Amino acid sequence: MPQVRIVAKNFMDMVAALPAMKLDKLYESTFICEAVLRYLPPLAKKYALQMLFIESPVTAKSMEEWVLPEALSKHRVATDRLLQLRVFLEIGDRKKEASYKMNPTFQRSMQKYLVQGGTLPREPMPLSVTNRLPTLEDLEAYANKQWECFLLQLINSSQAERLTNFSTSMIKVFQRGILSSRENEAPRLTENGFQFLLMDTNAQLWYIIREYITSSEDRGVDPTDLISFLLELSFHTLGEAYSMNSLTDVQSKAIKDLADLGLVKLQQGRKESWFIPTKLVTNLSVSLSDSSSRKQGFVMVETNFRIYAYSTLKLHSEILKLFSRIEYQLPNLIVGAITKESLYAAFENGITAEQIISFLKQNAHPRVAERVPAVPENVTDQIRLWETDRNRIEMILSHLYEDFPSKEVFEAASDYARELGGLLWEDSKKMRLIVNGELHQQMRDFLRRPK
Amino acid sequence: MAEKGDRSRLSKKLKFSAKAAQFLEEEVDYAVDIQESRHEREREANKRDFTKLELKPDHVNRPLWACADGRIFLETFSPLYKQAYDFLIAIAEPVCRPESMHEYNLTPHSLYAAVSVGLETETIVNVLNKLSKTKLPKEMVDFIYASTANYGKVKMVLKKNRYFIESPFPEVLKTLLKDDVISRARISSEEHQGGEAFSISKTQGEVDAHGGLLDGAELAAAAEEKETHSFEIDPAQVENVKQRCLPNALNYPMLEEYDFRNDTVNPDLNMELKPQAQPRPYQEKSLSKMFGNGRARSGIIVLPCGAGKSLVGVSAACRIKKSCLCLATNAVSVDQWAFQFKLWSTIRDDQICRFTSDNKEKFRGNAGVVVTTYNMVAFGGKRSEDSEKIIEEIRNREWGLLLMDEVHVVPAHMFRKVISITKSHCKLGLTATLVREDELITDLNFLIGPKLYEANWLDLVKGGFIANVQCAEVWCPMTKEFFAEYLKRENSKKKQALYVMNPNKFRACEFLIRFHEQQRGDKIIVFADNLFALTAYAKKLRKPMIYGATSHQERTRILQAFKHSPDVNTIFLSKVGDNSIDIPEANVIIQISSHAGSRRQEAQRLGRILRAKGRLQDRMAGGKEEYNAFFYSLVSTDTQEMYYSTKRQQFLIDQGYSFKVITSLPPPDTGPDLSYHQLDEQLDLLSKVLNAGDDVVGLEQLEEDADDIALQKARRSVGSMSALSGASGMVYMEYSTGHGKKPAQVQTKPKPKDPSKRHILFKKRFG
Repeated sequence: MPQVRIVAKNFMDMVAALPAMKLDKLYESTFICEAVLRYLPPLAKKYALQMLFIESPVTAKSMEEWVLPEALSKHRVATDRLLQLRVFLEIGDRKKEASYKMNPTFQRSMQKYLVQGGTLPREPMPLSVTNRLPTLEDLEAYANKQWECFLLQLINSSQAERLTNFSTSMIKVFQRGILSSRENEAPRLTENGFQFLLMDTNAQLWYIIREYITSSEDRGVDPTDLISFLLELSFHTLGEAYSMNSLTDVQSKAIKDLADLGLVKLQQGRKESWFIPTKLVTNLSVSLSDSSSRKQGFVMVETNFRIYAYSTLKLHSEILKLFSRIEYQLPNLIVGAITKESLYAAFENGITAEQIISFLKQNAHPRVAERVPAVPENVTDQIRLWETDRNRIEMILSHLYEDFPSKEVFEAASDYARELGGLLWEDSKKMRLIVNGELHQQMRDFLRRPK
Repeated sequence: MAEKGDRSRLSKKLKFSAKAAQFLEEEVDYAVDIQESRHEREREANKRDFTKLELKPDHVNRPLWACADGRIFLETFSPLYKQAYDFLIAIAEPVCRPESMHEYNLTPHSLYAAVSVGLETETIVNVLNKLSKTKLPKEMVDFIYASTANYGKVKMVLKKNRYFIESPFPEVLKTLLKDDVISRARISSEEHQGGEAFSISKTQGEVDAHGGLLDGAELAAAAEEKETHSFEIDPAQVENVKQRCLPNALNYPMLEEYDFRNDTVNPDLNMELKPQAQPRPYQEKSLSKMFGNGRARSGIIVLPCGAGKSLVGVSAACRIKKSCLCLATNAVSVDQWAFQFKLWSTIRDDQICRFTSDNKEKFRGNAGVVVTTYNMVAFGGKRSEDSEKIIEEIRNREWGLLLMDEVHVVPAHMFRKVISITKSHCKLGLTATLVREDELITDLNFLIGPKLYEANWLDLVKGGFIANVQCAEVWCPMTKEFFAEYLKRENSKKKQALYVMNPNKFRACEFLIRFHEQQRGDKIIVFADNLFALTAYAKKLRKPMIYGATSHQERTRILQAFKHSPDVNTIFLSKVGDNSIDIPEANVIIQISSHAGSRRQEAQRLGRILRAKGRLQDRMAGGKEEYNAFFYSLVSTDTQEMYYSTKRQQFLIDQGYSFKVITSLPPPDTGPDLSYHQLDEQLDLLSKVLNAGDDVVGLEQLEEDADDIALQKARRSVGSMSALSGASGMVYMEYSTGHGKKPAQVQTKPKPKDPSKRHILFKKRFG
């Protein structure tokens, strides 16, 4: 079995993390199989196809001979991935060497797919029914807007214009890990939350979808159903309309949530209603590394600590607000200033100087991005200095000992503490000691010991 | 924390006695800061959201945004930047001008200035609209109309030693006369006893011969005036009348123009610019703003130090070609101005005279140039007979040009006096920094005139006209012993001396001097406001020093040596060196103590090294030398200095300079090479500081420095009167030269440093 425990970073990781039973059930769908095949690393893809019609196990050793010795590491990655996804099964005889065989369900589905071809469970609706489909630009704008709106609600911003239809409990689930909710305190963004905000949209979407799927069981929904539905959706054509009638109960419930996130747009015709997949959903199953088509940066930082952000998004101003003071908001520009106070507030929330600096660097406006450094050195230096300034005081839990009966006892105690390496401070005139709290028990024992 | 509490309590008290507080710039600033930040936070949420402004479809091609509250943002990378900059600098106050984005504020004063240089309301709105990415907010348009509706209608003219207020609109004059101050100032001549009637004169419609220089807007401003109504006012009341006419009162700000070409009463002064005097583009531009319509406008030209202000002044005098009174801040600077006049113009030696306490040259001929100090003119006490004669001469003459250097240092009351004593047709103020901590600067608007031009520092740096300075703030940790004393309440008056004399600071200073003298062959100025520190440092390091009590001859001798001798590469200056002393050779400044949070002082000091050196092509952007001048500000960490330092840098930061923080000076491996390595030496120093009298360790006070004249009063009122005479800095000092003799006991090593934070200069040596 693969050694590494996976943190779901993309759809396939999520699929791989499913229990074997459920995974096997998923593979009954040809679409899932195709999707899985599509997102395999190239070598793994080749192996899967190579093994497609071989039903007997192949020894690991003979498989290793398929590659040159220097490509062995790639081979490992490929086989590990195949095993994680249960495309290959390991037939382990402890004593003898391992051998691999293809997952029969996967094999069957794929063979069927190759022979008969695959069809989606639903076809796009004819244009005659849906004569007012949005243009692709409108659809993208809609999706971005929905997503921003959701994020604003997620971080509890007062800027959120309207709320999504998610229940409070659902939002709470999403907020888990992003906001800290100490009692009697307004929830604040945690360090993770800040990192979340700094991720690109696809990664953020992933985080949310993952939470959505993993929490589905509490809502009485089988995560497998959701995964297969989402995978299916990613095969739909961007901008086409699909009838809602073709959806199962679970799916039609889910589609409303997905609309709230901006993954699909719902429209109502005279008789029928339909959904239109947006870019967000068709990109969903793309792995993170592939999707990192760098978005253009928008932030300029000046040597006088002022920030100019070319953005129309309220979300961006919310992000900037985390560590700077917003001074002006213009139609396509946000003007702010990094001040000691604003940074201290950020540090207070667990945001680090490095996170802020890397955010400013990664999102540098093209005008300044080619400059080295993209963020003026005096600003980055100062941000770091302010951070280290806060770390000059170290807290040590400790105990104060006073009222010693005699000078001798005091001196013995202070010598003892010094021997233990825990003496922090002493005032021999007033006979007082401060000793590291970890040593309290030992100190007490020492002092109680009969002289 | 206790420290902070004390301060804010103090400042609260001060708020009530606003008058007294005005002088205490540091405390006031503090109070204002607290107030401001609270205010800002409240306003921030609702008032500055301008997202509703409508973007124009082609907004990408336009360079600026304009907000309803008057704030304007300008992209400097726009192809229209140059045009937009020239326009904005004429109509708005620059707030900050770093590399990529400039900010400006539209204010009544700035619009007044715009109108005075001949821009019309319509033009302002149209051009602004053309440049703006969004539709102009209605509030801004209204504001421009409201602020400029009355502008440019009234003029103040000086004819034959008498002041007249002129306007083509009699109803405007009537409005003005309804005001008490103005009606009282009016001098009614016998023939118009009715009081309502004005003298009416016909003036020629102006047809400007130099139309080619003007754009359409300016031509329009030189509108035809057929009939002018006027009345005369009392010369002593001129300033009061002008003030009444400002936007915060009657709102008819007066323009002062001098039609020098048609002045046949005052004799001409025959002087020309020498051919080798070639004004640079920005000098040319500032002059064109002044002489835009063929007349001479009164106003202020703001150029960074070292950018050639004196050439602008001399050129202006050469254009007007009438008698010129030139005012400077001190005697050294008087000599320098006289020299500049002779250097750039064809003026004969007998046509120019200096008038200082040491140098009372007599004015010959019927026209000439007099160079003197503000003090000499404004002096109220008894004068010698010669002086009295010269002053009389100055008083009675109608000056063509009153040229005022460093206008920002002279306080308003001094200006009022000077201006009411002297009669001039045109006033030109020159300065590098239009900032003061006490905000008396706004007075300049009516005392002299609007700001005519302000150059952008960074553009001049890029053009190679001024030096590219690397600014650095050197953090010197207080040594344990000094910090313990610093925190003691009984040492409250010695705080400054303690953080300035911090041995780590001394070592950093010594290291920097050595580095620059030996490694780069630079010329270094060390600035210290604190006289005690100045003497202590200078004596320990055996360098010459100049302070208030240094005689004129001595100063000249030291400055000569610094200029020419290869052995004198470092001089120590008290704040006498802040202004006007021209030391073009220096290219490194080390500041060890300074005047609280004064932004002006910081900028002025930087100005000492701004004069560009070396070859032009090396200096231009992308040239050989990245930095050719260095400005170090040494601060002791965890002391008041840190707070002040941030404040002081604000002006320069707004001009686009950045301060690099250096935390690792001197390098830890220098050890006993530098002074005060041993603990006992440090303790010795500490006891010297503690044993010195409170009055000795305070700030130096100078008569010339207006900010400090004000400060003195405040000191008196809070009971920590510092020594008034420079002589108080004379302290008997012992040299401690014993380092290296005793075995090291405790090594006070500077904090270990992170190599990545190392200053560029030192990376090479230690990296």
